[in-house]
Amino acid sequence: MLDKKLIEDVLYTVVRNGGDFAEVFVENRFSTKMEMKDGKLENVASSKEFGVGIRGFLNTKAVYAYTNDVSPENLIAVAERVGQALGEIKLEELTLNFEKVDVKDRHPVYLYPQDVAKSEKVDVMKRAYYSAKNFSDLISQVIVNFWDYDQKILVANTEGVFVEDRRIRTRLMVQAVAEKDGEMERGFYGPGAGMGFEFFDRIDVEEAGRRAARVAVRMVKAEPAPAGKMPVIISNEFGGVIFHEAVGHALEATSVAKGASVFAGKLGEKVAAECVSAVDDATIPNAWGSTNVDDEGTPTQRTVLIENGILKGYLIDKLGERRMGMKSTGSGRRQNYKFAPTSRMSNTFILRGEYYPEEIIAATEYGLYAKSMGGGSVNPATGEFNFAVNEGYLIEKGKITKPVKGATLIGKGYEIIQKIDMVGNDLERGQGMCGSFSGSVPADVGQPTIRVSEIIVGGRNK
Amino acid sequence: MNFEEFKDKVFSYAKRSGLEAEMSYRREYECSIVLSNGELDQYSDAESRVIALKVLKNGKMGISTTEILDDPEKFVEEARENMELIDSEEENLFHDGKGNYPVMETYFGEFEKLSVKDKMSVAFKIHEYAKEDKRIIMVPRVAFVHFVQEDRITNTLGLDLSYKGDGGYAYAMTLASDVSPRGGLYFDVSTIPEGLNPEVIGKKASKEAIMKIGSKSVKSGKYRVVLRNNVVSDIFSMLSDMISAERAQKNLTPLKNKLGEKVGSDLLNILDLPYFPGSIFNRPFDSEGVPTQEKKVFENGVFKTFLYNLKTAKKENRKSTGNAKGLGIAPINLVIDKGNYNYDELLKVLDKGIVITDVEGMHSGANPISGNFSLGARGYMVDNGEIAGGVEQITISGNILDILKNIEAIGSDIKIFLNCVSPSILIEEIDIAGNEN
Repeated sequence: MLDKKLIEDVLYTVVRNGGDFAEVFVENRFSTKMEMKDGKLENVASSKEFGVGIRGFLNTKAVYAYTNDVSPENLIAVAERVGQALGEIKLEELTLNFEKVDVKDRHPVYLYPQDVAKSEKVDVMKRAYYSAKNFSDLISQVIVNFWDYDQKILVANTEGVFVEDRRIRTRLMVQAVAEKDGEMERGFYGPGAGMGFEFFDRIDVEEAGRRAARVAVRMVKAEPAPAGKMPVIISNEFGGVIFHEAVGHALEATSVAKGASVFAGKLGEKVAAECVSAVDDATIPNAWGSTNVDDEGTPTQRTVLIENGILKGYLIDKLGERRMGMKSTGSGRRQNYKFAPTSRMSNTFILRGEYYPEEIIAATEYGLYAKSMGGGSVNPATGEFNFAVNEGYLIEKGKITKPVKGATLIGKGYEIIQKIDMVGNDLERGQGMCGSFSGSVPADVGQPTIRVSEIIVGGRNK
Repeated sequence: MNFEEFKDKVFSYAKRSGLEAEMSYRREYECSIVLSNGELDQYSDAESRVIALKVLKNGKMGISTTEILDDPEKFVEEARENMELIDSEEENLFHDGKGNYPVMETYFGEFEKLSVKDKMSVAFKIHEYAKEDKRIIMVPRVAFVHFVQEDRITNTLGLDLSYKGDGGYAYAMTLASDVSPRGGLYFDVSTIPEGLNPEVIGKKASKEAIMKIGSKSVKSGKYRVVLRNNVVSDIFSMLSDMISAERAQKNLTPLKNKLGEKVGSDLLNILDLPYFPGSIFNRPFDSEGVPTQEKKVFENGVFKTFLYNLKTAKKENRKSTGNAKGLGIAPINLVIDKGNYNYDELLKVLDKGIVITDVEGMHSGANPISGNFSLGARGYMVDNGEIAGGVEQITISGNILDILKNIEAIGSDIKIFLNCVSPSILIEEIDIAGNEN
């Protein structure tokens, strides 16, 4: 992607001018986005991104620059600026011995985005459209989006890392809107994977459309959710966004290393209910949040975060390594070359427990059943999180009684994970985009059905 | 190959292929300094460009974008292939450059005069002011950012426009000591460095956290509230989507069929302005090269107009309002008219209730299709018109259209929050969920 000699020159230039570490990240990405409304393809856009990010460290200080003028003169000039900004330490005698790491590709792809005609992708969108549209007369609009990309990266650094990786992502997103008596509600489902077009042989495209439509139809008939503190059962798969927001972000080195996390300094302590074990695993073959190496060239791994309620690990990138004196967990990620990497989640989920979901519902006298979740956010320093329930039901006397809409759940992460009192046996993962300081990256969330003994539900008062 | 040569090759190849073409070129420069606990965490210096091509034939449009100027013919072919897939009958078009473009100053060049050292010193000062108060245990993040953006848009119908703008922003995140830490954040944006006052940013960020010490949740119920100006900006940002003509045409906004109707309180006046002093979003033309224009969106509570780009305007046989943004539609500066009360007076008018000072979860808890929202919130209790303790762990829920109706009073404390300019607003009634049923 870039001449090896030039990369070497860039790295030398940084550390000759200042700094004790230099890194080059090269990215070449081709992506396609298509949008269909009312069953008609309205927008098709393809884009080619190509750029270089150059980073230098001096102890825990970092300087980052990027450019898409990849001429040798410009790259050397940028490298000089990075080095000069770091100043002080100059490493004249550095000898680079690149060990080109040929990482084993754990994520085989069969049909690369550019090898499949766009018209075939459009056919998939149409199938999703019609299954959603025909689900009910109440469906007034369906928007289908298709997104795929082929990202090639190269990372080299002054520790001798020289590695390339290729990431393929494919995602279908269906948004259905139902209208009844002038009220409109929406449903969303957006399955994706680290696969090529073969992804659509693995999933039921029609069911994806119906699933979005089903939520919209049920919610347009729903009453507002009740307001106040109550037990909440959160369904499996995308329900895992609760762990992602409430706990995951606060385990990232970016927050932990600075002490700006409620979980800083708590390794080995009991932070969650005993029934809670959770991992971050970027090695799952072809998962949405998986990669062979992270965006700093470190091989990815499965990291145990919490085991039977005990805090076991953090998510660590290279700067985190320096700040915390702990090894990188291969968690350095970035949206693209325009972002310096930081510690991020990949596929993060609560492990399987013992209860059937039906048992959990039957054991609940009154509460909210959050069947499908929207996104959320968190302040890792205070632990305060919020996330939206896209599809909710009231539970009365151990039974699901009626659909309720418009609930947001709020709380403090470190309190909520101590209040998880039942964990189901139906672990699944769901796909999302996670946003933070290093941009928006694909990430899986996941969990079995769980129950939280009490959480504030932001509904309406009677 | 420079942009000029690349553009000429693209246009001539497009013409030979029977296509109209439009290219936009954007160059961005950004410099940012991030401190963590008073130490330099990251300095970055970055420049990038992106070129977008639209090709048009028989009303159908295809798009491709690139960051490298390598192969003009392949670039056109990619866009053409995309165009040929389109089966929507909606007619796309280009603008020919006619019309009156507002004249405005958008590039000041003041930020670029600062040396790296100057910028660092601003960031360090913000940090010092933020941590001055003993109750502040940590200042996890201070950022000082400035950027320059240059745009050019040109097409085969003769349009050729350029824009250059710059600005900057700075913020501080603080943590105050309490049973569990209290977070504070203060953010300012400006077209010139003088608009980012380290003392103001540092001290306000510190005060935001300190004021939350001892916060408690409240009993669920309906409350009279003041939405502080930043919260108004967050919640009213839902309107940006709701007033898009595309959403109206696609039946995706509760404001469809409400044109000319009184949907809000008499006090409600909202404008969309191409220029608002101090805003970094001021633009003489939109992303389709159409002149931007001033318009009243809500006047005395009456909904006056949707915002249009070329395609949605064509569909209704009218003119674009100059609100194209990327492939969508957006206001330029959505300005909510100020009222008569300053912030303290507004609290007096509230007398008893809650001031909402922060909301979280706009991207997930607010639904522009229904107008419903349910958001995590924080604020202060107000008793006898005075602040009487912090409020945490609550949500506010409602529908934006009810908010527009239930406006009881509007503050004079307008402030620029990205592309929304808003005052604080007193709302008669809102649903709050807390930890007591």
